[in-house]
Amino acid sequence: MDPYLVSVLSNIGMISFIALSAYLLLLTGEISFGQQAYFAISAYGSGIATAMWGWPFWAGLLWGATLAGLAATLVAIPTLRLRGLYFSIATLAFAEMVRLVFEIFTYQVEIDGELVGPDGSDGFRDIRYIYDSNVTAFEYMLVIYGLLALVLIGFFVLERARLGSVFRMIGEDPMLTEMQGLNATAYKVLAAAMAGVIAGIGGGLYAHLTTYVEPKIFNVMLGVHSLAYGLIGGLGTALGPLLGVGIDIGFLESIRAISGYRMIVFGGLVAVLLIIRPRGILDEATVHWLRRRWRRWIHAQD
Amino acid sequence: MVDFIQNCLDGVMVGSSYALLAIGFTLIFGVMRRLNLSYGPSIMLGAFVGTLVYLEFQMGGFAVAVATVIGAVLAGIYVERLCFWAIRQGAAVASMVSSFAIWMQLEEIVTVFFPERTYPFPPLADRTAIEIGPFFLKLENLIMFACAAGLTVLLQVLLYRTRFGLALRAVSENPRAARFMGINIGRVTFWAFALASALGGVAAYLIIGTDAQITPLFGLWATFKGLIAMMLGGMGSIPGAILGGLLLGVVEAQSTWYLGTEYRDLAAYALLFLFLVFRPGGLMGQVAAERERAALRRV
Repeated sequence: MDPYLVSVLSNIGMISFIALSAYLLLLTGEISFGQQAYFAISAYGSGIATAMWGWPFWAGLLWGATLAGLAATLVAIPTLRLRGLYFSIATLAFAEMVRLVFEIFTYQVEIDGELVGPDGSDGFRDIRYIYDSNVTAFEYMLVIYGLLALVLIGFFVLERARLGSVFRMIGEDPMLTEMQGLNATAYKVLAAAMAGVIAGIGGGLYAHLTTYVEPKIFNVMLGVHSLAYGLIGGLGTALGPLLGVGIDIGFLESIRAISGYRMIVFGGLVAVLLIIRPRGILDEATVHWLRRRWRRWIHAQD
Repeated sequence: MVDFIQNCLDGVMVGSSYALLAIGFTLIFGVMRRLNLSYGPSIMLGAFVGTLVYLEFQMGGFAVAVATVIGAVLAGIYVERLCFWAIRQGAAVASMVSSFAIWMQLEEIVTVFFPERTYPFPPLADRTAIEIGPFFLKLENLIMFACAAGLTVLLQVLLYRTRFGLALRAVSENPRAARFMGINIGRVTFWAFALASALGGVAAYLIIGTDAQITPLFGLWATFKGLIAMMLGGMGSIPGAILGGLLLGVVEAQSTWYLGTEYRDLAAYALLFLFLVFRPGGLMGQVAAERERAALRRV
């Protein structure tokens, strides 16, 4: 495959994780500006594990995602008592704190006569595990999409399971959920922890693909973008955020010809789209309609 | 001790500009209950209109200020029509994401026309420092503080002594009741937006005038400083926005002095996080927050 295409597709895959993590919280009715924090925590955590402690890739990725999930849980417990915008701003404040701490955070060890490790605002170089083990860019892309497929299967199971219904119910009306005898806050904390793990998988993959992470990548722009993807693509299905990422990265890459004006066109398009479809392209009603058509088509085949 | 007081003075001076930004934010939020992320970028666009007037026509301070305000108001109206008026009432998240998309758009428009990193802006005053006992005050900061105080008084008169002010307060208190009283919500929202953008334009002129240079990053900066100051003070409260702005300014000045520049933003965000967790209503909004919580408990 064309290396350029591989790099674009890998990017789409990695960003999809953080978009899915923001989407999961959107299902429960919470707007998070801060999912980039867990992306960052896992990028650093898994990078430190493989590059500095000599762990294998999978152990490092697991460790990073676990760290991200733990951090998300710890943040969710005090902040999810807050409603609406207060929660959004609290996640924003936390994510910026994480970024600014990484701007200061220095932890280096000497490996083969060279200093390896995060070095404050200079970033964290040489997370070389993938290159040292001779994994090609194409193979790594398959790893990314394999994991993405697993997460998507998880989402589809979730949508059919009771838990998914509870999440959507909390998103519709938390008070009604409480009246059913369900602890809405506990479910939200669970959703936040799962969202943290998903963002964390993306972060670990990201650090190993680029081999270099620096704090300023994980700024609030990444967080707001990942939130926007779900809303552009649609809140009806987990494919919505993927569609959003595909439209943004795919579309922007394909019309490089008008580079310099891309955001002017794209920003306007998104604004108009949200006027017509405030819950995105694949919103709940559309997904429902598509499913019905699909079932009818299956029946017609019999 | 002298250092501490000097920092407080500096903080209050800088904080007065944050307060102006926060007032604009809080006006829009109070009326709409929706967040306008594009607030900073739209006043940034206004400031670049000011720069254009300054560079192309060599006009002085007053003309630049007028151009900045006009530009900011026009950009603000564009945002209001596209992201708030056109999207139905319930879809608050869609409005917010839409305002973010327009943020990207405005920033790109500016960078297309102004490709350099920074552009000159007419300085507010020559760099003279005024000495009062052991303390120093910069002239431009004093001007900024005086303008902010003056505007706050004007705004207070507008909100509490005019029919428009009454309508605006009615809409922010209870939109449905306001509609039953015959208030045209769409029109009030429109003018509140224009007013907030005009205030933002003045704030931008004052802040950028102190630096005597402007960058497209000002949009991001203004949105976040205004947002933090508003949240510290309490959403929807004008006295809160002022106190929040001043508090933010003082905390930044103190943490820069005692901890170093790299800790300045960290301290500001940590303060915001702690405020949200322990006192989500902010300095002044606590009463409203408590009332809301009590109502929820009763249900």
